[in-house]
Amino acid sequence: MNDELARRLERFLAHRIPEVRCLRVVALESPSEGFSQETFCFEVETERDGERHRRGYVAKREPVAGLLEPYDLEPEFRVLHALCDVPCVPAAHWFEADGAVLERPFYVMDRLEGEVPIPAAGPGGAGPFSEAERKALGPQVIETLTRLHAIDWRSRGFGFLDPPAPGREAAQRELERWTRRIVQSRLPAGPVVREALLWLHRNVPCSPEVTLVHGDFRLGNWLVVREGGGARLTGVLDWEMVHLGDPFEDVAWCISPMWRAGTPYAAALLPDTEFLECYGRVARRALDPARLHFYAVLSVVKMIAIELTGLRTFLDQRTRDLRMAIFEHQIPFLEALLAALRGWLAPDRPGGV
Amino acid sequence: MRIPVPTLIDGVERALLEAVLPELRSRSARGQLYAAVDVLRNLRDRIAPRPELLEAEAVSLARSLELCAEQLQEVGAAEAASQLRSRLGTAGSGPALERLTALRESFELALTLVDALPEAAASPAQAALGEHLASQALRSVSVLKPSLLGEISRG
Repeated sequence: MNDELARRLERFLAHRIPEVRCLRVVALESPSEGFSQETFCFEVETERDGERHRRGYVAKREPVAGLLEPYDLEPEFRVLHALCDVPCVPAAHWFEADGAVLERPFYVMDRLEGEVPIPAAGPGGAGPFSEAERKALGPQVIETLTRLHAIDWRSRGFGFLDPPAPGREAAQRELERWTRRIVQSRLPAGPVVREALLWLHRNVPCSPEVTLVHGDFRLGNWLVVREGGGARLTGVLDWEMVHLGDPFEDVAWCISPMWRAGTPYAAALLPDTEFLECYGRVARRALDPARLHFYAVLSVVKMIAIELTGLRTFLDQRTRDLRMAIFEHQIPFLEALLAALRGWLAPDRPGGV
Repeated sequence: MRIPVPTLIDGVERALLEAVLPELRSRSARGQLYAAVDVLRNLRDRIAPRPELLEAEAVSLARSLELCAEQLQEVGAAEAASQLRSRLGTAGSGPALERLTALRESFELALTLVDALPEAAASPAQAALGEHLASQALRSVSVLKPSLLGEISRG
């Protein structure tokens, strides 16, 4: 399968990089099977002036079924392509909608250096970072998020992302988006989700500004290089949910208890207060606790909606990926977290969330 | 449970036979895998839901809804209280599973009724419903084993 895929990629790339000779796709692998888009890492070996060169790329392909279906890779490709000069953003070069090339739409982007620390406690319950790595990485993560939020999306031509009007529209849209996903899953949401949705509808906040929102900015989607005892953020991945909206949506998602990897820290990096204080200072944005709390609750509802979508693909037998079925056992933890965020359950009781 | 147990086991069997088996080269490992599938196939129709969990949910729902109706009455939302009590009355008898379904539907109604009230008036009734949300959340989590999501993600 990989050989066939490599030959197809070679034919595709030969048309895109006509100036090089003897183009070969080598070291093709699917390093970790994602829960959503399919990812293929590979190197392109070329010959120029008698010398061989190698460069790393990543192809992201639409899956047959996945957590964020239905898929449309083009908007995220256009955003990545336009942000190729922004640090930590992988430059995306080519998008192909024609399924004749790789069976389904895909795009190709640069492979950045680093590894992806996952949001789960390691052996012995330790988080993914040492003390020194946390101290080095925390400010970099915040600066990177701030930089994304400061991007002038109008001048970058991101109008195709359909900007919401300043005011309640950004929050309202996201609430509707995830409510719709829950409905489309045709699976029962628990009473705690119903209650949270009613509360969210009653408390839609005003956003004074509209910024670029990554939509999945969190531990697990960062590339990190560990060096000299510290750590360096080298990339921000998984732009599938990029849109225009309220920057606090990203902040609340990033510091959610869902991504603490067994540590007491936001993103396994910093205490919440320190993270928020630093973000507010760097972004020069006044923190609004009510708005942040709205997005904290919405974050958990969003995750439940995503997991219900995964369960639906399993139930419909559109995937044989058994990992989709484990959400059956993840959702109760998320519901407990939601109950805690709504104040029904003491925050230290969600039981392993 | 959103996925019925037989469906879940069918999915496990499919993943083992279609995704894992072709990757196994060791005869011993293949034998163990076939044995696991054989066990699963025979467990499939022998697993019943635990009635004490369903009963605990029903008791919690009924208590919470009674309290909610009382609170609605106290804040002057007599019509909402009456609507809820009437629904509770019809849920009171019948087979356990039917009763649980009726109580769950009554809870949905209670959420909507309370949501329609002004915030100050809604608060005590909301707290009554919150008691069930909290206890049910803990009950659901208590029957689960520690998640292997970390290991699943690492592969």
